[in-house]
Formats: sequence, C-alpha cells, structure tokens
Amino acid sequence: MIQTDHLRLLERSLDVSTLRQRVIANNIANVDTPHFKSKRVAFEEMLRQEMGQTTSQLRAYRTDQRHLSFGPIGSIPEPRITSNPNAMVQHNENDVDLEYEMNRMAENQIWYNGLVQLTGGYFTKLSSVINGGGK
Amino acid sequence: MSLFRGMDTSASALTANRLRLDTIAANIANANSTRAQLVDGVWQPYRRKIVEIAPKTNQTFDHLLGAAIGMVSGAKPEQGVRVQAIREDNTPFKRVYHPEHPDADQAGYVLMPNVDIMKEMVDMISASRSYEANVTALNASKSMMMKALEINGR
Repeated sequence: MIQTDHLRLLERSLDVSTLRQRVIANNIANVDTPHFKSKRVAFEEMLRQEMGQTTSQLRAYRTDQRHLSFGPIGSIPEPRITSNPNAMVQHNENDVDLEYEMNRMAENQIWYNGLVQLTGGYFTKLSSVINGGGK
Repeated sequence: MSLFRGMDTSASALTANRLRLDTIAANIANANSTRAQLVDGVWQPYRRKIVEIAPKTNQTFDHLLGAAIGMVSGAKPEQGVRVQAIREDNTPFKRVYHPEHPDADQAGYVLMPNVDIMKEMVDMISASRSYEANVTALNASKSMMMKALEINGR
C-alpha cells in the first residue's frame, strides 16, 4: 500500500522545483549583468527517459513473494543545471530573456503548488489508513 | 533550506539595483555641478558615475567544502549579483560658451559635467524595471515557502 517510491518521487520533484526557482531568481537577478549566461534546470526529460526503461539496473533477489520488493534506487535522476544553447545574446553578451524567465517562474510556482497538494494528499491518505478511516 | 538562498539571490539584486538608482539620482542631481573637485587650484566639473555589476561567485562555505571533499553534484546555482565597482565615466566634459559664469576660462567657455540626462533617464527606467522583476521573483520564492508549510496541514 505504502509506495515509498511515490513519496521519493514527490520529494525529488519538490526539490527540483525549488532549485528551478533559485535558478530563475538568479537569472532575473543578473538581467543587467554583462557577460552573464542564463541557466536552465534539466530534470523532467531525464526522468521520462529513466521511467521509460522497464529494467532497472539494481534488482534485489527475493526468495519469497512476501518479501518487500527492493525499490529501484537511483532510478530518479539528479537535476542538472545547463546553459541555454540557442539563446539570443544581447549587446552586452548577456542572454537573459526576462519574459521567458517570468513565464517559467509562474509555471514553476503553479507546478510547485500542485506538488505540495499531492504530497499533502499522500499524507492524508496515510493517516487515514493508520486511523482505520475512523476519524 | 535552499529557498532561502533564492530569496538571498533576489535580495542581492534588489540592493544592486537600488545602488544603480541612487547613482543615477546623484548623476542627475549633479548635471550642472561645475565644482566637484579642486585639482591644482582649478575646479573640475562632476564626472558621471557608473555602477559595475558582476555575478556573485560561489564562494560559500558549503560550496567550498563540497568541492574539497568531491561531492559537488553540479546542481548548484550561482547566488545573485554583487557590485564590483563604481566607475567614473571618462568621456570628455561638455564645453559651453558662458562668459558670465564664475568658472569660465579666458575665452568664456565653461566645462560642464559629462552627464547626459537622456542616458540617465533610460538607465533609470531599466534599473527600476529590474528592481520590480526581482521583487516579483522574491514574492514567488516567499509564496512557495509558505505553500510548503501547508504540506502537513489538515
């Protein structure tokens, strides 16, 4: 019932969302800094690739069906900070696109709120199981 | 918690942009100051000031420690901006014919500051818009933190 992987995925996604907020805040902070190159956080694409792989690299040997399955540890990728390869560079060698960053920030915020709701829902379900649905 | 750092990032940019605005205000205020400093007994006009900003490098303790023990994951953003210097603009002073002016030379010309009001206005709008954008980013970080507190709610 309790899928630890689910919670781990939520946790990592919240982390990534936080990191993305920091990176966007840094891009906006450096909007007028000469020679600054804007950064992106790559995660979802890597996660999709990882999820698409049916066989995980690490698998525990189970001698009994009742043994807990050993989750595929390491299947949730680490986020990476990359630069934007096809950004338009301005006259001062800076490639921050303020409109794009503001859009990404709004999107990321809604995404984060959704993740918080999902995480809250997870714990609500968990406590409902613990209390036997009584209260 | 790393969202606090996001707020620090925005705060550093707010400080930098406030300094830019202050510098521009000083430039505009001194647009007609012919006696800024005395060099060899001759009054020199005011020179326009420019704020130089640069990205803040990652020299925090946890970053250096992480690098020293080889556990840097590559997912560490930089942390905002810092003001590198306040530089003086070296473009030549404007020479205005004004024989009645107490600082006029023999030919009746006065050296005026190299402040261009148009340039200052454009810079001022740019700085104040950057300030607003950073306030928005700061508010976003703040509301995300407040939202995180709701995970345990109910």
